[in-house]
This record gives sequence, structure tokens and C-alpha cells, in this order.
Amino acid sequence: MSFLVRQIALKSDGSEIVRAATVEGAELTIGRDSSCGIHLPDLAVDPRHAVVRRLGDERLTIESIGEQPFELNGRSATRGEIELSAGAELGFGGHRIQVSRDSETGFPDFAVRRVEAVSESAGEHDLGSVYTLKGLLPGKRMSAWTFAILVLVAFLAFPVWSYLTYQPLALHKDARRPAGWHADMAWSSGHLSDAHAKLGGDCQACHVDAFVAVRDNACMTCHTDDAHQHIADRPGQTAVERLTLARGTPTGFAGLQRSVALLFNRPPGRCVECHTEHTGAGAMPATRQKFCTDCHAGMKTRLPDTTIGDAADFGTNHPEFRPAIVVDPAPEQPVLRRVAWTPALRENDGLKFTHKDHLSKTNGVAQMVLRRPRVYRGEGSLDCKDCHKLDSTGVRYEPVAMEKACQTCHSLTFDQVDGTFRTLPHGKPAQVVADLRAFYREGGPPRPANLSGLARRKPGDAAMQASAADYARAVRFYPTRSEQAIAAVFSKGGMCYDCHVVTRTGATATGGFAVENVAQNGRYYHSGWFSHKDHTRSDCVACHTKAPTSNDATDLLVPGMDGPGGCRTCHVGESGTHLASVKVRDPVDSGCAMCHAFHMDNGPPWEPASRRKRKAHIAEADRTPRRPGLPSQMALR
Amino acid sequence: MATASEDAASPPRRATGRVRQTGHESFLTYAGGRWWKISALLAFALIALYIFVPLPRQHFGSSWLGYTLGTIGALLILWLTLLGVRKRAITPGRWSLKAWTSAHVWLGLCLVVVGTLHTGFDLGWNVHTLAWTLMMIVIVSGMVGIALYAAVPQALSANRFDAEGAITEKQMIEALRSLDRQLHEAAQPLDRENAALVESSLAEDPFAGNVWNRLTGRYPRCATRAATVALREGRAFRPRVAGAPLDKVDALLTRKQGMLDRMRRHLKLKSWLQAWLYVHVPVTFALIAALSAHIVSVFFYW
Repeated sequence: MSFLVRQIALKSDGSEIVRAATVEGAELTIGRDSSCGIHLPDLAVDPRHAVVRRLGDERLTIESIGEQPFELNGRSATRGEIELSAGAELGFGGHRIQVSRDSETGFPDFAVRRVEAVSESAGEHDLGSVYTLKGLLPGKRMSAWTFAILVLVAFLAFPVWSYLTYQPLALHKDARRPAGWHADMAWSSGHLSDAHAKLGGDCQACHVDAFVAVRDNACMTCHTDDAHQHIADRPGQTAVERLTLARGTPTGFAGLQRSVALLFNRPPGRCVECHTEHTGAGAMPATRQKFCTDCHAGMKTRLPDTTIGDAADFGTNHPEFRPAIVVDPAPEQPVLRRVAWTPALRENDGLKFTHKDHLSKTNGVAQMVLRRPRVYRGEGSLDCKDCHKLDSTGVRYEPVAMEKACQTCHSLTFDQVDGTFRTLPHGKPAQVVADLRAFYREGGPPRPANLSGLARRKPGDAAMQASAADYARAVRFYPTRSEQAIAAVFSKGGMCYDCHVVTRTGATATGGFAVENVAQNGRYYHSGWFSHKDHTRSDCVACHTKAPTSNDATDLLVPGMDGPGGCRTCHVGESGTHLASVKVRDPVDSGCAMCHAFHMDNGPPWEPASRRKRKAHIAEADRTPRRPGLPSQMALR
Repeated sequence: MATASEDAASPPRRATGRVRQTGHESFLTYAGGRWWKISALLAFALIALYIFVPLPRQHFGSSWLGYTLGTIGALLILWLTLLGVRKRAITPGRWSLKAWTSAHVWLGLCLVVVGTLHTGFDLGWNVHTLAWTLMMIVIVSGMVGIALYAAVPQALSANRFDAEGAITEKQMIEALRSLDRQLHEAAQPLDRENAALVESSLAEDPFAGNVWNRLTGRYPRCATRAATVALREGRAFRPRVAGAPLDKVDALLTRKQGMLDRMRRHLKLKSWLQAWLYVHVPVTFALIAALSAHIVSVFFYW
């Protein structure tokens, strides 16, 4: 009984070395121990792993000695039978044993091969890559493509798809994209202003055509009524033509910028050139001075038919103010006219008033104020605000009301009945006349005592007749005293005449007198904006310098641009410029937009709440600290 | 590493005693620092323009200076990307790869100024800021790369040096293979349990481990260390016998552990040298895509 064991090793050139041995005995042990018939130097194999026995001539049994299994024809087993004619393959750790019958001797033949390396490190390693991160991370090329494609899809293809989807809605006022998120919102460079916030994700409301800069027709889709008439169309000349004409042809670097803009399809004269958007939530920023002065500086030379004066900078180059002054205080529609401001300008508002006397600290007015401490807080003279009251917006003054401001001194009382005063009604001349006539008609003249029956009689009727005649005359002429009173009230020295212009052109109901209408001018500057609220820290007479010296109501106390109390006393140009002849102590930088705004009406210009509280006046665009506060302004000063 | 074998006979010298190549010039100071001077000049000039040219503070990017900065930035990004092409075509001389690298590094740093000024410090959640953010990621990863290139090679050399001189990457594997073979031999007499422990160490791939293991150099499930620990635990209560096979296996395992640690330190340092590029390069291409989207979107909604 023998077993043939052939140990087969591979040489480096691939050829095989076979060491054959014959093991005598009925059993053949397989294991790591060197005493085993088949010695497998393999740490995965038990020292004595399995035993093979012959079972007749044709068959072998194989059985594990311990509990460690082995592989029989690829399957794990602890025992098995082998048909020698069919052969089998055994597996122990990293070794394979081919079992067959040796054709020469007829013995069972065990061909042993090592098929696995002793250790993992003994295997082949590509030195070029094994020390790198290759295989541990996604390849650079792979991730580069992935990232690039993801970005292109999400931020280019998807937004373009959004644009194409909603393109039919363009230029329709009420056709809006559905609310919510749209891919092209990722292209937005900043929030829209409050005024346009409702457009939200509808990019195409303004960006109508791809690669075409925003045009005015997009603005006019909604702003059909309220777009400002900054420049009106004229026969043979559209507004845009006039605008471009007014701007003139830029030269030098500006000309280069213009030609580059044209090259890139950005024509000049569009609304959006001044009305910039995507500048963040909040109010649309005030237009910067440059956008105004591009046209208005020296415009007369480029647009000769304009009626507007040239303006380049408030500090140095601005036309004289043109206040609207009352030239005829007509009752229904007072006539106002805009004229250039001069120090000698006069205004006829129908009133007589002496500012100088009323503000005096020494005369009778001051004495009267001094004697009425409960009304005038014990001060020694009148103050502006005793008569002039700010309106609720704080921007302008309410018209002076006679009943509140004047009547406390200039009383219209004419009678007293048991401690109650009777007052003539102000502003109603017919009522005044009626009241006076009634006053003198009541009761009639006292009856002479000698007309009574108790009178001591003189002989003859002559005395009685004389008394009767006197009485009759008194009765007859009684109303004439009322007419005298009426005449006195309306004539020089009378209550009305002191303040009002009275003529004798009136109707019978007003005793033939007529009081001229009074038109108090609430706002002098209509093209510019002025708010008293922003000037509360200044004394009134700092601007209204003539008030303490004027004794004529027709003196125009509203300050102009230059001269004492003029705006240029404090306000300088946007970049701090001012005329050499003007001495400015506390300069306030003033761009165009500080006083000029479109959509101007009687109310204060619309401002968001956050700005309303602020005292600063500089245009929002140059205030916002988006660009870090760098000394560009100072450098130019 | 020819010097290592030549010096093997002489007394072992310390790693710090290496003679530096005197002719070496870093790409950072190439040509007397030409490129950092050019970049610094460009950066200061642009900052001065930004400060002193009176331009609106909002929508700065659409002013003439903004467009100029944007154009410079975009062209610079494309040119900087071309280093990847250039480094595959080595040419000597004036426009050597070192010159390109020097210019790449310094102009790339200058791009921080160009790109950030172009934004006008107006950042938001949009494609424009995405491009800026990706640009900053690329630049910062590049800066990390330079820092690593300045620090890691020394550590790498120091790690490879020992009393016997320097060891190459190939020698590291060979050393491990040799130790494995010795372990295999020495473990033959062991019983099943101990043999299985040694086998687990042999079956372990020295290059196994994920990116995290590589970058940290920590392998908590190292079979060799586990095997050493388990063998020592089992041996602790047994009487010592001179020449016992377990002693030899233990000594061999300790040596293997040392070799493995050194190789893993080498792998860690090498992976640091490479890892930044796995950010730098792919994000560059994402940046170019975002830049394209940025430019197209500006002109699309012009």
C-alpha cells in the first residue's frame, strides 16, 4: 500500500520542478507538521489536518483530524470519498492537491502545488501607483467632468430652459410667471428694489430678449401712466432723441466707453441707465449727480431750444432759483408766477403786516406780549412760531389763521352783555355789516323825559313839539350811526383796514366795502424740494434774514440761492465744491437728488421708513457702504 | 539613492547632515522673485485704481473698471489652468516649467485681488458669487498645496532615513516581503490558533485602507498589531523556554510592525502631497464652468 506524493514548485521562468516521493502505509496524513506524509508549510493548515485511507482498490476516504475543514472539489468538507478513476481536487489553505491514479504504478497520485503567495505583500505591486491615492479617490479627470457638467446644467442650461419656457409672457403687463422659484433667479445679481419686489422671479418682465439689454418698452409695459415726462416728445423729435442730443457726443475716455457699450449692444438713453436695479431690497437709490449733469451741464449749447438753465453742480453752477410768487391774490384762483429770485423781489398776497414791529423787543407789541405771560410764556417779544405753525408733515407751514394767531391781540370784540363779549366774525364782511347794523337798531334811542306824561309842562305845545321833533329825528337818523361804525371798521384806523386791503367796490350788503382776498403762499419752490423738518436745528432768521427788518408785507422773505441766508450758505456741491466768493462754515454735500425728484407733488417725496428718520441727505447710491468706505471723495475735494 | 549604498560603510550619519544642492532655486523665488514682484505690483495697482477711481459703489462689476477686472480675471483663470497642459510638455529655457510654475503661483495669488475687486464686495446667493467662491476654493487649495510642498518633503526624507541610510519605496515592499517570509518560516511550528494569528498578519495587504486611513496614518484594524497583542497576551502566562518559536515570531512581528509604521507614515505624507490636487484640479473645472455660466448669464440678461 503506497501513495505517490509529487511536490510541484514553479521556477521564476515558469517551468515546474517536481519532487516525487512514495509514502508507504495504509494511511496518508496531510498537515503542516513535517512528519506528515504530505507536508504543507502553510500557516492556514493544521499541524495534522486530515488523513487519507484507501477503501478498496478504487476509492479513498479523506477525513479531517481536527475540526478544520478542507476543500473537496471546491466545497468545504470534513470528510469525503474519492473515486480514483474520476480523480478529485483537494484544497488546504494556500495549497491545491490534485488526486488521480498514477498510470504506471497504479498508486493514488497526489500532485501538490502552492497556489497562493506566502503573504499578501509578496504579491505584485505597481510601484507607480501603489504609493498614490489612485483608486482611493474618484479620479481628478472624472470629478472635474462631473463638477463642470453639474455646474453647467444647474446654472446655465436650466436657467436658459426657464427663460425659453416663459418667453411668450414677455411684454404683457398682467401675464406673470407662476410664483415660486425659477432657475434663472440664480442669475440675479441682487435683490430688486421695493418698488419692483412684486416682480419677484419674473426675470423676463424686464429682460425680454436674450442678449439684448433692457429696453424702455419693458418699462413702459407697466409704467404707461406714471413714467415721468422728464423730456417730452416734440414735433419731429422724440424724447430719446432729445435726451441723446442733450448728452452730447462724449469724447475721450467717455467716448471710448460709449463706443464699447454700443459694440456690446447697450444703446444710450435707456431708462435703466439712471434707474439702476438689483441693488438690494429697499428704495431705489437716488440717481447720482453724474447722471443729471451729463445732460444738464452746458445743455443750452447742445439743446438750444430748452427753457431749462444749465446746471452742473449746486455749489458752483446752478441757475438762480425761480420761486412761484403771488402776483394777484384773486379769490378763486390766485395768480402765481415763477420769476428769478432777487433780493428786491416783492409779492402781493393781499395782506398788510409788519414783521419788524411784531418781532421788536421794545415797542408796544413787546409790551403787550410781556403783559400776557399766560399766552406768551412770559417771553419779552413775539416769536415766529407764535403765529407760524408747522403742518402735520413738518415740511411746510400752515397758513396763518387770524383767529389763532392775530385775534389774541387784535380783538374784534365790540360789545359786552353781562360779561359775555360779542365779536365780529372774521372773514365775513357781510356778516360784520349785518351785526353792526343790528347792534345799532336794537332798542332805539332813549326817549326824552319831557315826552312822558309826567313832564313838567311849559305853556304851549312848542316845547313838546320840539322834543317830539328831536326824538323823531333821532329815530330817523339812528341807523346812520351804524353806517358810521361800519365805515369806521373798514376805513383807515379801523379793525379790518389794519391788515387788509379794503376798497369801495363792494355790494350794499357789505356797506359798499370790499376786502381784497388773501392768498398765503404755502410753497415757493415747486421744481425743487425743501423740508423745514430737515432744518429744525437752524434758527428761522438764519435763512429768513429779512424778517426782523421788514415792515412791508410785500417783501419776499423766502431766501434764494445766494446772498444772506441763501441755500449756498450751507449747501455745497455733491463733492463739496463751492464758489470762492461764498464762505461756507458748515458745508453740506448736496447732490441734485437732494432737492430734485421726479413724481413730485405737494406731499413729501416718498421715502422708506428707514430713511425718513435719517438726517443725512447724500444720495443713497453714494452712502451705501457696499464699496468699503474709501477716500475717493476726499481725494477729489 | 546611490549615495546611501556608498555611505553604508562609513559611520551612519543623521538625516539633518545631508548636503543641500547649492544650485537649487525654489519656484517661489524664481528669477530673483520676478513673478511675486510683478503680481504684487499688479495687485497694488488694481487696489489703487479701485480706491481712487470715482465709480459707483453698487454694481461695480458693470463699471468700466469692473469689466476690465473681470476680463483680466477670466483670462488669468484660463491661463493658470493651462499649467496642466504645459507641465506635460517640458521645455527648457526662459519659459521653463519652473518659470511657469512660479508665474502660476504668484499670478494665482494675485487673482484673489483681481476677482474680489471685480465683485465690488457685493456677494449673494447667485451664480456670480458661486464663481467667486469656487475661485477662492481653488486658490486656497493651491496655497495649501504650496504649504505642503514646503513642509512635507523634508518629513518624507526624514522618515525614509535611518541608521542604515535611506530606504526607497521598492525597498519598503521588499523589506516587508522578507519579513513575511521569515514570519512564515518561523511560525511553522506554532499551534493552530497562533498560526492563524500570524496568517492574519501575512494576509493583510500593506496598502489597504481608505483615504481617511491614508491621510491620518491611523489603521485601527491593523491585523499585525492585533496579532502581536494577541500573541503576547497568550504568552504572558506561559513559562519562558529558550529558543521557543513564539519568541522569534514575536520579534519578527515587532520588526514588521516597525516597517509597516514607517511605510504608513510615508503613505500619509505622500497622500498629503497629492490630496490637495484632488480639490484644486476638479474645482478648477467647476470654476471654469461657473465662470462660463456667469459670463453667459450677464450677456443673456444684458
